[in-house]
Amino acid sequence: MSDPDRGGFFIGWSNKLPDRLGLFLVQAAAVLVAGLAGAAFAIGVTQNDPGDGAFRFDLGRQTITGVLQAEPYPVLHVTESERYPAGHAIMLSGQGKRGVQDRAAPLDGQLVVASGVILTRGPLDMLQVRGGDQGLIAAEAAPDANAVPPGVPVPVPLGRWRLTGEICDGKCYAGAMRPGQGLSHRACANLCLTGGVPPVFVATDTVDGQAFFLIAGPDGGPVTDRILDHTAMLVEVEGQIERRGDLLVFRIDPATLEVL
Amino acid sequence: MSVLYTPVQWNRNKFLYDGVLLAGVVAYILVFLQVAPLFVDATRPVDGAILRMRAFGTCAFLMLTLILCIGPLARLDRRFLPLLYNRRHFGVLTCVVAATHALQVLGWYYAFSPTPRLEALLSANTSFGQVLGFPFEVFGIFALLVLTLMAVTSHDFWLSFLTAPVWKALHLLVYPAYAAVVAHMALGYLQDAKNPAFALLAGGGALTVAGLHLAARRRDRAARGAADWVTVGRPAEIADGRARIVSLGGDERVAVFRYDGRLSAVSNACAHQNGPLGEGRIVDGCITCPWHGFQYRPADGCSPAPFTERIPTYRLKLDGDTVLVHRTANPPGTPVEPLAIP
Ligand code: FES
Repeated sequence: MSDPDRGGFFIGWSNKLPDRLGLFLVQAAAVLVAGLAGAAFAIGVTQNDPGDGAFRFDLGRQTITGVLQAEPYPVLHVTESERYPAGHAIMLSGQGKRGVQDRAAPLDGQLVVASGVILTRGPLDMLQVRGGDQGLIAAEAAPDANAVPPGVPVPVPLGRWRLTGEICDGKCYAGAMRPGQGLSHRACANLCLTGGVPPVFVATDTVDGQAFFLIAGPDGGPVTDRILDHTAMLVEVEGQIERRGDLLVFRIDPATLEVL
Repeated sequence: MSVLYTPVQWNRNKFLYDGVLLAGVVAYILVFLQVAPLFVDATRPVDGAILRMRAFGTCAFLMLTLILCIGPLARLDRRFLPLLYNRRHFGVLTCVVAATHALQVLGWYYAFSPTPRLEALLSANTSFGQVLGFPFEVFGIFALLVLTLMAVTSHDFWLSFLTAPVWKALHLLVYPAYAAVVAHMALGYLQDAKNPAFALLAGGGALTVAGLHLAARRRDRAARGAADWVTVGRPAEIADGRARIVSLGGDERVAVFRYDGRLSAVSNACAHQNGPLGEGRIVDGCITCPWHGFQYRPADGCSPAPFTERIPTYRLKLDGDTVLVHRTANPPGTPVEPLAIP
C-alpha cells in the first residue's frame, strides 16, 4: 500500500519519506534538541542564589555547654564552647523536621550540654541535636559549690516595631535546604514548623544591627499554629522586639500579619 | 490500522520519532544538571534534589507546550503533520518526566518529617483562601493525574474499549491539565521570581499554545448553513486525490474527495483518533488519514480487508455545476454511489 509519488504526503507506517519532507523533519529534530538544550542552559544558569547557609559537617560534632531556654522555642545560651563565645545564642532543632521541645522542657533554665551538627547562615546558628539520650543532657554540678549557677539572659526590650520580611523555618533557612525559603518551599517550611523547628523572621531592614529574629507569640510563648498561612512570602507584622543575649526575639502579634 | 492489539506496532518512523524525543529530553536534563552548574558560583550550590525538581518540572512543562503546539501547527503547515504521528509516545514520555519531578518533590520537601509523605502533601499547606501562598501543589497533582490517565489509556485498545467519544473527551482533559500546570508554576516557582529565563519561557510557552490554537481555529472556521443540502463548491475547485472539508455546523465536518473523475463524501473524523481525513489523500484508491495512515474506501467508508474500521458516508448531488452534500450522515460503512463529474 505505497505509492512512490505521493506529492510530499507523509504516511506513518510507510518507510518511504518524501525527500523534501525528510529534510524538513531533520531540521525540525535538530531545532527541537538544540532548543531544549538551550532552554535548559538559560534556566539553569539564571537560578536564584540559594544563600550561603549550610550544614557544617566539616566541623564535626559540636559539644556545647550553655543555659537552655525552652520557650518560645529551644535556644542554648552558650557558657562554654571551643567555637562560640559565651553569651552566643544557638537555636536547637532535632533530626529532620523535628524540634527538641520534649527533650528541652524538663531542662528549661538549667545548664546543659548539647551535642550535634551546626548549621550556619550569617549570624544565625542552629544546632541539630543528635538523636538518643546523649544529645541534650544536664551538665554536671560545678565543682565549686559556691559558684553562682548561670541563668538565662534577662530580656532587654527594644520597643514595638512593624517589620517587613519573610517567616521561614530556622533550619531550612540556616542551610538544611538550599534554597530554604520562598514560596515553592512553603509546604516544606510549614512541615518543619509544625514538627517543632523554631520559626525565624528574616527582615528586609535591621533592628539593632540584626535582620534575623526568633519568632515568639505576644506572650513570649510558641506561636507556630497562628503563622502557617503567612510563611514563605513577604509579609508585614507588628510586635515587641527584645534582646536575649545576642539573639533578637520578635514577639509578633499574629493579628497584624499582612501579606504584601 | 490494527486487527490485533499489540503493545506498540513499531516501525522505522516511530523509532526515529522516539529517538529524537529521547535525545531532546536527555540533552535538557544533562545540560540543566551537569553543564549549567559549571557556570554558577560553586560555593553556593542549589541542593541536588531541588535542582532535579526544577530540571524535570520545567522539562515536562516545555514538552507539554510542544505537544499542544503540534496540532495547530500541522493545521497551519502540513509539513508538521509527521509530528502528530507518534504524539502519544511524546505524551507518555512527558508523563514520565512529570512523575519524576513529583517524586523528587515528595522525596525532599515532604521527606524527613514526622508526618507521612502523602499526608504531608495534603496537609502541609491549607491556605486555600489566599492567592499568594495558595497550595499550588494541587494544580500539579491534578495535571499529573490527567497525564497519567492519558498515558494509561493511550493505547488503541482503550480507544475501542471506551468508544471514540468518551476517549476523545478524556484526552481533551489535556487542556485543563495544561492550564493547571501554568497555574502550578505561576503560584509556585514563578513567585520566587528571580529567574528571568524561566519567566520568559513559561509566559512565552503558554502564549504560543494559545496563539497557535486561535490562528488554527480562525483558519478552520467555515461558513455554516441551515438547509438540508449544504454547498460544497464546483468540482474543479477540488484537486484530484484531495478533499474539500465542509462544516455542517457544530463539530460535524464532511470531507468531499475527488478521485478518478468522481466525488465521494465521508465524515471528516478518522475512526482511529478523529484525525482530519479531509487533510489526507487518496493513496492506492483509498482515503488515507494524515495522522497515522488508516485507510478507507471512498465509496463506502470501510477500511480494506483485513481491517474493520468504518466511517459514516454522505449523499452528494449536483445543482448545475455546484456540488451539494446532504447534512444527514449515513450509518458508518453505508455504500453511496460516487457522483460522476460531468
Ligand atoms: S489514522 Fe490515526 S487518526 Fe486517522
